[in-house]
Amino acid sequence: MAKNLTSNTITRRDFLKIAGSAAFLTAGASIVPHYLRRAVLPEEVVEAQGAPYDLYYAGTDGWISLPPTPAIPPFHPDNLAPPGLTTYIFGFRNVSGMDDIRKNNQKNKAQHNAPVFWVNQYNPSSPVDFRMQLTNLGLALRPDLFDAHTIHWHGFRNVIPFFDGEPTTSVSVPTGRDFTYIYRPREEGTYMFHCHVEDVEHVHMGMTSLVFVRPIQDGMTSYYPSGKYAYNDGDGSTGYDREFVMFLSEVWAEAHWADAHIQLPEWSDYRADFALLNGRVYPDTLAPNSPINAAQSVHALAVETDANGDLMTNPGYEHLQYQPHSSLVTCQPGERVLLRFANLGFKESAMTLTGIKMRVVGRDATLLRGRYGTPTSYETNVISCSAGESYDVIFEAPPYDGSSGLGYDRYLLYNRAYARSNNLASGGFGGQTTEVRVYPPGSLASQAYPNDWGL
Amino acid sequence: MRKFSIKWLGWGLVLVVGVALWAATRGAKPQAVEAQTTAVPRTGIVCTSDASPNPTFTLTTQTGYIILPDGNTVFMWGYSAGDSPFQHPGPVLCVNEGDTVTIVLQNTLPEDVSVMFPGQEEVLANGAPAQPQFDSGGNLTSLTNVAAANGGSVTYSFVASNPGTYIYESGTNARKQVSMGLFGALIVRPSMGSGFVYDRSDSQFTPAEEFLVLLSEIDPYQHQAVESGLPFNINNYKPRYWLINGRGFPDSIADNYASWLPAQPYGALALIHEFNDTLPPSDPNYHPLPGMIRYVNVGTEDYPFHPHGNNGLVIGRDGRPLAGPAGEDLSFEKFDINIGPGQTWDILFRWYDAEHYDADTNPVPVTVPSLANMVLGQFFSGSPYLGTKVTLPPGSQTLNQCGEYYIISHNHALYQITSWGVTMTGPITYLRIDPAMPNQCP
Repeated sequence: MAKNLTSNTITRRDFLKIAGSAAFLTAGASIVPHYLRRAVLPEEVVEAQGAPYDLYYAGTDGWISLPPTPAIPPFHPDNLAPPGLTTYIFGFRNVSGMDDIRKNNQKNKAQHNAPVFWVNQYNPSSPVDFRMQLTNLGLALRPDLFDAHTIHWHGFRNVIPFFDGEPTTSVSVPTGRDFTYIYRPREEGTYMFHCHVEDVEHVHMGMTSLVFVRPIQDGMTSYYPSGKYAYNDGDGSTGYDREFVMFLSEVWAEAHWADAHIQLPEWSDYRADFALLNGRVYPDTLAPNSPINAAQSVHALAVETDANGDLMTNPGYEHLQYQPHSSLVTCQPGERVLLRFANLGFKESAMTLTGIKMRVVGRDATLLRGRYGTPTSYETNVISCSAGESYDVIFEAPPYDGSSGLGYDRYLLYNRAYARSNNLASGGFGGQTTEVRVYPPGSLASQAYPNDWGL
Repeated sequence: MRKFSIKWLGWGLVLVVGVALWAATRGAKPQAVEAQTTAVPRTGIVCTSDASPNPTFTLTTQTGYIILPDGNTVFMWGYSAGDSPFQHPGPVLCVNEGDTVTIVLQNTLPEDVSVMFPGQEEVLANGAPAQPQFDSGGNLTSLTNVAAANGGSVTYSFVASNPGTYIYESGTNARKQVSMGLFGALIVRPSMGSGFVYDRSDSQFTPAEEFLVLLSEIDPYQHQAVESGLPFNINNYKPRYWLINGRGFPDSIADNYASWLPAQPYGALALIHEFNDTLPPSDPNYHPLPGMIRYVNVGTEDYPFHPHGNNGLVIGRDGRPLAGPAGEDLSFEKFDINIGPGQTWDILFRWYDAEHYDADTNPVPVTVPSLANMVLGQFFSGSPYLGTKVTLPPGSQTLNQCGEYYIISHNHALYQITSWGVTMTGPITYLRIDPAMPNQCP
């Protein structure tokens, strides 16, 4: 097993290896329910002992909250939804470090979007495999279905089918089973991932999120003082001070209702009733991140969990328990801010930033340069991000003005495709809308994790 | 929703029967195209060509039916070469840079039709500059000169002065006629050689790995109205089918000229071998040049097409290389080829196993789970390794033949990979990567 040669500290993998082995030894097979025990064949146990994961995700179903008014009868809000929630989803949860009991408690507690994760670019001189283990907890509301799940890393170059997560060409994970994907990401940039089983349905139902690869150049402060880069640019042109994930997805209320009510939608009737930014619609996009355990957020945002493993949330934001990711952008004058856009909705979003020019430095995990180095990056105020595309965008925070009296200057970032920005409300504004807030110098701490406000 | 295992089994049988049929008929090239196509490869672009430098093509409008993945058939119009029967889409016309291309349009339809050549300059119609047509009241009736209804004819010509990928399509009542299928692809090969996309040495590709991805859409009610001679209100236009090279998956991966798709000759399976520029050139697995895909959108929507595991290097669009004024390369890689209506994109790609996984010398760093514990895909070999095919657990079936890899490509506006309610159909195809030679592949 390859060691991380760049650090003498105990890595998260080392920790999990110890924790995982201990959990296996102490918990043993006796507490595994008999119906699961049947599924665990000896070689899987060997794998679990000898090869711990860097991240462990589980696929299941659940519920999220979208603005209940105006209603879209009979589809929205769904009359089967638990109190405070409106919309049935399929999704993933991060179950890293959970014992089997806590892990299985997460059935019917999926989140949207799935936990964002990130990986260091594979460095042949200090090779480290990234191990993503996936399990399938089943669908609590649809026990009649026996859908498998996979993780498809969308955009991963030259992958073999075995690790591509595309079920027709490889394997997918039935309920109660596990599979480990090995990633050696050799190209940095912003990607996305999703379940590829019956992907029209599973993608739309919410088994989607963003993944990005940090460049080998990271840590080198000679190009840019922060030592943080979007790409191995060799000149600091993609250096940044703060980074924010902007994951785009959509909800067609009828399709979600149909899955909850044992119906089938006619997909060619598709429409985006709700356009979601990091799993929420405006103004929920401005609400804080759910409580994040920064120390555990080594490869993914680790939302604090309760004794049962369920997601913690902020007081007053209980309806966002399963939508933990904030989209508010905070920054200080002169700082470079990296926005990582990826769209797993089915329609193009026209993400528009008023008052600040954005520079597109990367697209589809590719630095914008010709084959022989000709720069092709460009400035714009509209990012037209289509289904399955990603954009890496950097802007420089303008000087602090203060005239708003709010203690910060406010700039809007919104989807110019207005028909998907209004939550169906008349005259209202919603959907994929958030704010960029520029604070006076010295107001913000540096980010402990992506989308950290620093407040 | 896992409800399609019976359907998959059915398609498996179709494929097996189809392969048998193909094998039985492989010696008999479709007669209609024999005059104009030199060979019909199982995969890749099938060119319809004529002698350079003055190629002449006759395009005759025909009507017919195509088969859709949900079992439906739909009435179409189309251009066919010469007196060939109806086909969809129109023939892929291949010419050389500098050719004077002549297209004779013969109209059998009950209304005026035409052919537009977007991207070509100084197109002539019957020897005079092609013009938009207006009626006596000054109303636009056609974007270009027409062949009159019921037997009319018009002859277009132009000099193919720029290499690249183009569309040809009707310019008359286009919202009806293009939707009905009056379109096709035109390829202009550069003076540098047929193994290049443009007159640039960095546009060279493997000729056996040149593929077409022509994307389109169908509103069956419009086609039904045309078939019945009834009016259709274009405000009600709503596509229910989306197609790749005139077929929906799984038909899309059947061979060119598959016998069970008599009017849909063009397959979309991309059969390739692993990229390798490090072996000695004498090695049969030396494969130093990329493959090439010509993307064409003849529909009305954006088609964000996603090739898995295989970024496309976009080297040209709409018949022009992506280059600066001094020839600087401005190409870019994409994992999502987002082509707009009427656009064409030229893509180079290379596929190789980035980790060189090998069962003996470099195994995947994970315990391969018992296959009995997994759901197995219908193209899965049973092994992570290229060229290895293992016996699957009892009850499992696979269409895998020789341990080859399949890697999917599909439209990522995912409602567009459905067929009027049948999911996982439409514009889906695969890269098929055959193992290193010698291999056991048929």
